[in-house]
Amino acid sequence: MKVTNLRTYFFTRRGVVKAVDGVSFELKRGECLCLVGESGCGKTVTALSLLRLVDSPPGKIVTGEVRYDHLDLITCPEEELRRVRGKEIAMIFQDSQSALNPVFTIGDQITEQIKLHLGSEEKETRRQAISLMTEVGMPDAERTMDYYPHQLSGGMKQRVMIAMSLSCDPKILIADEPTTAVDVTIKAQIIDIFRNLKAKRQMSLIFITHDLSVVAEIGDRAIVMYAGKPCETGTVAEILRHPRHPYTIGLINCLPDASVTTTRLTSIPGTPPDPIDLPPGCLFQSRCSQAMPVCVEKEPLETIVSERHTVICHLYRGEP
Amino acid sequence: MHNNRLLEVEDLKKYYPVTTGFISRHIGDVKAVDGVSFEISEGETLGLVGESGCGKSTLGRTILRLEEPTAGEIRYRGVDITRLDKKALRFWRREVQMIFQDPQASLDPRLTIGASVGEALAICGVTDESERFEKVARLLEKVGIEVEMAMHYPHEFSGGQKQRIGIARALALNPKLIIADEPVSALDVSIQAQILNLMMDLQEELGLAYLFIAHDLSVIRHLSHRIAVMYLGKIVELASKKETFDNPSHPYTQALLSAAATLKELDRGRILLPGDVPSPLNPPPGCRFHTRCHRRLPVCNREEPRFREIEPGHLVACHLCS
Amino acid sequence: MDKLVSKIGKNRNLVLVLAISLLSLVGVLDIFLVDKIFAPIVYFYIAFGIVLLLYGVYPLYTNRRLTRYYLDRTKRNRLAIFGLAFILFLILMAVIGPFFTLDPTAVNFEEKDLPPLGFTIEQSVYDAETGKLVRVSVPSTIEHPLGTDNKGRDMLAMLVSGARVSLQVGLLATLIALILGTVIGVLSAYLGGWADNILMRFTDIMMTFPFFLLLVFVIFIFGPNLAIIVLVIGLTGWTGAARLIRSEALSLRTREFVLASKALGASDSRLIFAHLIPNVISLVIVMATLSIPGVILAEAALSFIGLGDPTVPSWGTVLKAGQQTLDTAWWVAVEPGLMLFLTVLAFNFLGDGLRDAFDPKSGL
Repeated sequence: MKVTNLRTYFFTRRGVVKAVDGVSFELKRGECLCLVGESGCGKTVTALSLLRLVDSPPGKIVTGEVRYDHLDLITCPEEELRRVRGKEIAMIFQDSQSALNPVFTIGDQITEQIKLHLGSEEKETRRQAISLMTEVGMPDAERTMDYYPHQLSGGMKQRVMIAMSLSCDPKILIADEPTTAVDVTIKAQIIDIFRNLKAKRQMSLIFITHDLSVVAEIGDRAIVMYAGKPCETGTVAEILRHPRHPYTIGLINCLPDASVTTTRLTSIPGTPPDPIDLPPGCLFQSRCSQAMPVCVEKEPLETIVSERHTVICHLYRGEP
Repeated sequence: MHNNRLLEVEDLKKYYPVTTGFISRHIGDVKAVDGVSFEISEGETLGLVGESGCGKSTLGRTILRLEEPTAGEIRYRGVDITRLDKKALRFWRREVQMIFQDPQASLDPRLTIGASVGEALAICGVTDESERFEKVARLLEKVGIEVEMAMHYPHEFSGGQKQRIGIARALALNPKLIIADEPVSALDVSIQAQILNLMMDLQEELGLAYLFIAHDLSVIRHLSHRIAVMYLGKIVELASKKETFDNPSHPYTQALLSAAATLKELDRGRILLPGDVPSPLNPPPGCRFHTRCHRRLPVCNREEPRFREIEPGHLVACHLCS
Repeated sequence: MDKLVSKIGKNRNLVLVLAISLLSLVGVLDIFLVDKIFAPIVYFYIAFGIVLLLYGVYPLYTNRRLTRYYLDRTKRNRLAIFGLAFILFLILMAVIGPFFTLDPTAVNFEEKDLPPLGFTIEQSVYDAETGKLVRVSVPSTIEHPLGTDNKGRDMLAMLVSGARVSLQVGLLATLIALILGTVIGVLSAYLGGWADNILMRFTDIMMTFPFFLLLVFVIFIFGPNLAIIVLVIGLTGWTGAARLIRSEALSLRTREFVLASKALGASDSRLIFAHLIPNVISLVIVMATLSIPGVILAEAALSFIGLGDPTVPSWGTVLKAGQQTLDTAWWVAVEPGLMLFLTVLAFNFLGDGLRDAFDPKSGL
């Protein structure tokens, strides 16, 4: 997939909210791209925009191109988009609790997905469903098929969601904060599932999270976002070892790292800007410890730091 | 170390009876807290770690007497508070306070934040409005909220600010112990750091003791002096921070440590616990952790291990350590 | 002045008790006097006026920021504004209308069946001279801008009177029902256990009460009287409110801010009055605006079938009169019908607008 200059704005009574303002990236087969940032930075809206799932009104994909296969998902006709959605590009939403229908059994819900897209027979779909559940590590998959969502724990529900999204063997899986609402040990299990999926199915992942440790574990490349704009993009190894943008550096330092012993945590002072009343220049300057006069006046441009590592910050203007 | 024992909890139990049928037949108990013992000294932070369903929130609430304990003792400065009546409990309220997990839900949306913070003072008889306002202003200042915002409503603040307001409210009666129930779980990482720093500063300035409840070891690291690990209603390991991180003895602690959020040591061989946490209604026989333990012995599913000291100040409940 | 207001406001409960006892004293006196001081319905007004002032207006006044916030959100819904405007117009009509209109009960056969302004109608009139029915064109007059009915009563006056009746019954009966429902609902939710059980079973039983039969029975004993109708509707209509409010209060009770107050040592009464009830009020307000039309229609229906108060013309009674002359004097039925329609619509719009304004998740 190749995304170019995606901008999604929300037109509300109080003003225009530039939820996503100029995001571009390339996603290769079998690669995991992480959209990293805190709440309100636009990462979820970016993912929704890829499949044109943004509520419009009030949202609108103002400009941008999402090249998948030979289509532009932003402008292609509905039927083409519907063919892609779920079948070739699947999405797992953040709250697995409410994404499952409480009045249907797990088996019903998974087989419905399979029947919808592949139109196979009853027995066959059941068999497929069980194999999918086993693949995501569900203990006793056969019996779980007849359970209702409320009988499962958070971690199990998450697994069901993942199994459902795999039912049509999609090429790209978009996962919106799948490890946020679960316990630490379950988080480890889920990351493991994703790792296996990536390896076994050669599936590409777009992983949305605010948790840098998850990015470190599973990401190949990452985009760090702040207030709708990308700050830094590159391979995960590069970004974590040589972060350039002050926000990225701040995020990394904020992490209450279990292996670091300092007495006081570094924090990023202040709070994110009001999305309707954005300041001029660089959006991060009010919280940036290295802000310069030019940061208040002009928006920074993209600078290429190394192969596949770019940063958008005035500090690096002119650097090769 | 601090020699002033502030809080002593001994064999505390909180069971929720499960009933069925029209006449409410008692068929069992949800053993949310099943025999927990620990102590906290003045000015000390005890970190309590455990995953959902382990009973840590229930423990916090029971200590505060928001829930009535089923058995066991809670002693504050030597006084047994488990059997105090309502009137006598008033003094307990001034000594212990709580900070809640969800900053959104912990503030009454219909009250100004000034009224919320000042409610404690109103309850305790500070009826003069100007005096109350003065105290509220000082509290807000202490947690970093502008005093002019006291007339505003919760929905006008961000998550981090709401949590600060919650802390201000907890400080209103000058407590000696604060039970913080996952105070930073619902916040962004950069805001988490701000709140944790604030809590550390307050501890230093006011000599507060904390019972810091969390589900992730990395969050607890910075604040805690000692750490207790809880699983299905029981404490499985209790040790100093250094001991817990350098020498974790219980397999569950080891698993938690390996799952903790970190950017370093990514290839350290993560311990993956199979399955989910069993239901507290029907805990496994013998050692409660044995169903998911990667180092279990045959004795583990028959006999419950005793909680004993393997080194001074380091207690573990595990057959491997006896 | 401000000091007095705040002093009263702080001791609201005391003031309420004092006022209610004073009122009951006057009421008891009234029973023994021949010349009544107040009509029974006026007692309701005074009592509820005081309650509304102390518990409705005063909190709004002290929490001006919050009130303004909600008003702003309501203003955005244009239908709700229309609803509010119409209701205010109705209230105006009901309050000052009687001073400007003719007596609605004045019968004047000379001027019967006059059409409303702008219309002229052909009627068959008995011509005394020729002894035959002659078709005459009857014009409207400015004295009866909305026409008259078949007994010569002025339509405008009757509509104004009807507005008074509808508003009185609507507001008062709903008030009774909601106060009862709130008290029972909140108590039930807060106390829980067997108290909750008993109260809810009682509610269930009340729900099965045949409201209509009770009304006929009561009217049979006491005669058709506005106050009776208000009481009966109010005392039987609280059950739905009680259930909804109880479920809302139940979910509020476990919210963390209630726990926080408990941890600070708040007493039960403080938790109920300072925390639970204010958060339930928004639900109550929305329910009020949406149940008032039901009550108004109920009263109209009762009058339509003849069980209403015959001394006071209401929209229902006018409708009933107009039923027979639908082909000759259509306005007698259409005008009250239109008023009912617009009133119900207005309250529904306002109710919807308020519900959206109070709901934090709606995208306003």
